[in-house]
Amino acid sequence: MSFRRFLIKRTLIAALLTLIAVSVIFGTLRLLPSDPFSGLVASGALTPEQVEQVRAMYGLDEPIHVQYLKYIQNLFTFQFGISLTQQRPVGEIIVPALVNTLVLLLPALVVTAIVSSLAGMYAGWNRGSWFEQSSIVVTTVFRAVPIFVTGIFFLIIFSYGLGWLPAFGMRSPMANPDGYVETFLSVDFLKHYILPFSATVLFYSGDFLMLARNSVVERKGSEFLMLHRAKGLSDMEQLGRAGRNSLLPLVTYFALRTGMLFQGVITLEVVFAWPGIGRALVQAILNQDYPTVQAAVFIMALAVIVMNLTADVAYAKLDPTVEAGDV
Amino acid sequence: MSGYSFDTETARDRLSSELDRARRTLHVVLEDNAAKVGFGIIVLFGFLGLFGPYIAPHHPIEDTLQQGGSIMRLQEPSAKAPLGTTSFGKDVLSQFLAGARPTLIIGLFGGIGTGVLGFLVGLTSGYFGGRIDEFLMRLTDLTFALPFLPMALVILSFITPNIWVITAVLVVFLWKMPARVIRSEVMTVTERTFVKSARARGAGHMRTMFLHVAPNVLGIGFLYTAYAVGWSIVAGASLAFLGFGDPTTTSWGRMLQQVFRSGAIRVAWWWVLPPAIGIGAITTAVFLVGRAFEEIVNPDLQTEQE
Repeated sequence: MSFRRFLIKRTLIAALLTLIAVSVIFGTLRLLPSDPFSGLVASGALTPEQVEQVRAMYGLDEPIHVQYLKYIQNLFTFQFGISLTQQRPVGEIIVPALVNTLVLLLPALVVTAIVSSLAGMYAGWNRGSWFEQSSIVVTTVFRAVPIFVTGIFFLIIFSYGLGWLPAFGMRSPMANPDGYVETFLSVDFLKHYILPFSATVLFYSGDFLMLARNSVVERKGSEFLMLHRAKGLSDMEQLGRAGRNSLLPLVTYFALRTGMLFQGVITLEVVFAWPGIGRALVQAILNQDYPTVQAAVFIMALAVIVMNLTADVAYAKLDPTVEAGDV
Repeated sequence: MSGYSFDTETARDRLSSELDRARRTLHVVLEDNAAKVGFGIIVLFGFLGLFGPYIAPHHPIEDTLQQGGSIMRLQEPSAKAPLGTTSFGKDVLSQFLAGARPTLIIGLFGGIGTGVLGFLVGLTSGYFGGRIDEFLMRLTDLTFALPFLPMALVILSFITPNIWVITAVLVVFLWKMPARVIRSEVMTVTERTFVKSARARGAGHMRTMFLHVAPNVLGIGFLYTAYAVGWSIVAGASLAFLGFGDPTTTSWGRMLQQVFRSGAIRVAWWWVLPPAIGIGAITTAVFLVGRAFEEIVNPDLQTEQE
């Protein structure tokens, strides 16, 4: 199978998966026993007739298959509808939240991928050294402890204990910045940024470190390195060759991690009250705000599917030994 | 009669030899210092999970501590309450002791369920290949595409969460991890001569699968079961922390949720530290043992030394 056909097949599968995934999300949300408006009748705020009007306004009175078709159509044109509780388009809620999450996560992921991979390669090269042992134990601890527990430790030490850094949100209550540049390029923002950023970096360091270390350990006995040694290359130069050879799993893993990122840090966003997509999702679920829940879950699912596709394609493209037909 | 079908006698026979192997492996794993510490923590945690509720001095929810006629709210550790009290006047030590059990149940059953289901799916998929493989792998792709924590939150918002429902939800979303790895291992094993000769001598599919192929991937299966225990504990605690745990029981995740929601996290370190350290210690312990085990199971890491 040529690379082209492989690419087309994979893309089709990804598209189909997206469709099935959004259908499952739709089905799950429609299983909910009540909608947010029935509560208003019970509390006497609205008469049943008024509730019917409101339901009609949101299209909740139409047959289920019409709702489904409209839903699919809207999703793929990125029209997420109107929030049930905030009376404004879901896009207005989700997009800024998404930006906030990305601003926090992408730099953290890139930093940890580079630093931990290099450390891991060094550790694998010096197998059995104290550096290897201690770096593995330390990163395993941060990898194993749930990210929100690390966050809580940071909070009670650095915010409440020592009072060095703010604990809540993305900026101080008094700050009222305008536009993205002013929001994200200020000392105030940096102060709020350090703790969640560090927690994310530490949390993801373990996987990259182990992956890099394992692949260097696997390469260590191989013959091309013996050739380099015979050529008279220094230890560090040899490690450079071995490291370059171990990049493939790291690249794929980076893509997969990026896809899973949004769901991974929901609890962290809640701990630090970071106004990101994970926190928006939790609040929407608590408020039974379906359109927002749908949009947030859809974005998270889409991220996974797209990044999985990227990882597959990158793997097939980068590794000359992979016969595209096998994948 | 141990013929070429899959009967109970041969199964029992093989099982005891596998247990022997497991005991030897455990010895090797425990030579690693980090694993030794981890194992100690796991044993302690198991003890807390089994007996914690009985050694707790007070009932974690019903008993309200009083002193001089007034409720002891947010008291620092003292002789009466060695780990202080919550803002509702409950004893933190008792909550900590009782809270180990739900964490243990979710971790143990979620982990084993994930391991077993994933192992069976991976074994079937890798052994038979073809259509069956294609179907099962697309199914795992689908569960990969559905984001776990958000979906779990949505589901638990309309099913009243109890500990078994949560465990089931975890298994439904986590089995894909071991399934994929086991499948690829099985595919390399099935290609080997001893499997083909077993088939040639007339061994049935069941016998070949479970007696010839399965023992060779059992190590990886156990490794992923161990990791799945860790993931389940993390996921269970995360759900409880977000307020989607079982509302009728005290778990460590729920303790953290209460201290966080009530705002007492600013001052009440005695209320935060026990559950936070408890969760951190047990997940770390599981992963440390898993790591040490992985060094043995993964043959690629044995290039030098030993």
